Amino acid sequence: MKINLKKELIGHIILIVSLLICLWPIVFLVSASLKDLNQIFQYPLNPLPENPTLSNYFTVLDRFPIFQFTGNTFFIAITVTIFKIITSLLAGFGFVYYRFKGRELLFNSMVLTFFIPMSVLIMPNYLLISSLGLLDTPYGVILVEIVDGMGIYLMRQTMRSIPKSIYECAILEGASPLYILWHIILPLVRPSVISISIMFFINAWNEYFWPLLILKSKTEYTLALALPMFISAEGGSEWGLAMALAVLTSILPFILFIICQKYILNTFIQSGVKG
Amino acid sequence: MHNIVFNKVSKTYHEKEIIKQLSFEIKEGERVVLLGPSGSGKSTTLRMIAGLEDISDGELYMGETLINDVPAGDRNIAMVFQNYALFPHFNVWDNIVFGLKLQNLPESEIKERAKAAIEMLNLKGYENRLIQSLSGGQKQRVALCRAIVKQSPYFLLDEPLANLDAQLRQHARQELIKIHESCNSTMIYVTHDQVEAMTIGQRIAILHEGVLQQFDRPEIVYDNPANLFVASFIGTPAMNLWPLITNNGQVTIGSSTLELPPYVKEKLTTPALTVGIRPEKLRLVPVERAMLHGECQYIENIGNIQNCLFQVNDMIKGFIQFSGLENKINIGDSLGINFNWNDACFFDSETGINLNSKQSH
Repeated sequence: MKINLKKELIGHIILIVSLLICLWPIVFLVSASLKDLNQIFQYPLNPLPENPTLSNYFTVLDRFPIFQFTGNTFFIAITVTIFKIITSLLAGFGFVYYRFKGRELLFNSMVLTFFIPMSVLIMPNYLLISSLGLLDTPYGVILVEIVDGMGIYLMRQTMRSIPKSIYECAILEGASPLYILWHIILPLVRPSVISISIMFFINAWNEYFWPLLILKSKTEYTLALALPMFISAEGGSEWGLAMALAVLTSILPFILFIICQKYILNTFIQSGVKG
Repeated sequence: MHNIVFNKVSKTYHEKEIIKQLSFEIKEGERVVLLGPSGSGKSTTLRMIAGLEDISDGELYMGETLINDVPAGDRNIAMVFQNYALFPHFNVWDNIVFGLKLQNLPESEIKERAKAAIEMLNLKGYENRLIQSLSGGQKQRVALCRAIVKQSPYFLLDEPLANLDAQLRQHARQELIKIHESCNSTMIYVTHDQVEAMTIGQRIAILHEGVLQQFDRPEIVYDNPANLFVASFIGTPAMNLWPLITNNGQVTIGSSTLELPPYVKEKLTTPALTVGIRPEKLRLVPVERAMLHGECQYIENIGNIQNCLFQVNDMIKGFIQFSGLENKINIGDSLGINFNWNDACFFDSETGINLNSKQSH
């Protein structure tokens, strides 16, 4: 017992230290958003604001169409998530329950797409979106992100843990494959679907580089694109405003994660993927 | 007609032929057991009937219809799986009526059928229970119940009792036979357990490496196995099989030279003969009057009977089974053993085929 206690203590100390390291930028972010410009550049750095003020938030809400940005971002993130979930479910289902020639090859080549760097894909994707006339529209951002290899992989792993005889039994009862997917398989993989959705949503919400290429007009901007608007390369950046906007941007994904973290952890533990 | 006819059915998987030219007929309303060691292809055969595996070659008929390409859902089959395959997110009632609802039956008939099946399997009061709250035996009964309510003419079972403990199994065997007798469907039952096969099957089909070895009534399979594989597979302890060389109609076992019966002499084509005799057909007799002389090497006491391993010489060993009360013998004792030639089976040592096999199917 004593040894266990010691081990537990050391484990907890390590966890607490790494938690503090991870939390530091967030603390800095929140506290900076509550400071005025003078305090931000104060040396030595004070982690807590002296006279906390919400003026940065009011200025952001006042000067920028923040609700429009949020709306744009939400539209893109939710559409991408829905499409990715549908394609992952269908593809995962196909890989698990259908036997066809070249199944393993197809699956393996799909896994290989994880390893293609994004920079390689940008050119062809950009040309495609441009020739479809979707530049500067949210659809241009969405279209290249409606299928996700990781999602398919995770769905397949989860469905493989369901005994195959359950599917076979339902087939013998006369159910169609789509009926089985909807009424039998989906309820059984729901925790994974929830956690993968959150992952997709947060990724799409935070996406920066691809929307930057596609979206030109400010009315189409997402929150991530709006963030650097306060920071100019020539100096005179308004750090307080940038920080306030950053806090506003992170609130939604943060809440989502807290609500669903139980599912998220389970999915990754089950599938053997360690984050 | 709800019979099933296999006509040279083969199954190739990854270029390996796992079912080889299977031809036999299961009659309407019959209770047939597919028996074999693991990897013999018995489950594959059942799954081909169900439509869960493709048929690579040959023809499979159900009734008058060729069903090679009929999808599983259209074959009107009820199946019970080894792991029960219950839908874990439904309660007992929803599991049982799942297939009936898909058939768009009127609500009143669904209720009537489900209630009758629940009654039959003593599941009353469990309708609203969730699957994970049930014991193994209860899950097995729910799976049976779900198959019965379909009232389909074909009833397939894939090792349905394998996950039950020994006491429940005997009870479940009786129950299965009762169910079959009341619903009269054609029942095909897969197992690797020969006790289940002998007790449940009206006929047993024994498979080995994808080839049908024998298809006959249990007592014939036991008393007159078609070949050496069946002889060694059925029965515990297995049939004693002694490879011998015949010489002018005589065989030498240890120090004894014995005359073969005339009907065997007629059928001999090669001198290599394997004599098979069940342990319970051997009798202990005083050494002076014995046909065979052996030494006891090992005794297994099962309470009511004893199995004794004896050795005649380096080549000839065997089990003899006798009542534990009648005889007291110890390891190392000399035994005198008698038997009746009529109780013995004779196999061609090279082909393994029973010289006296009756092809009754």
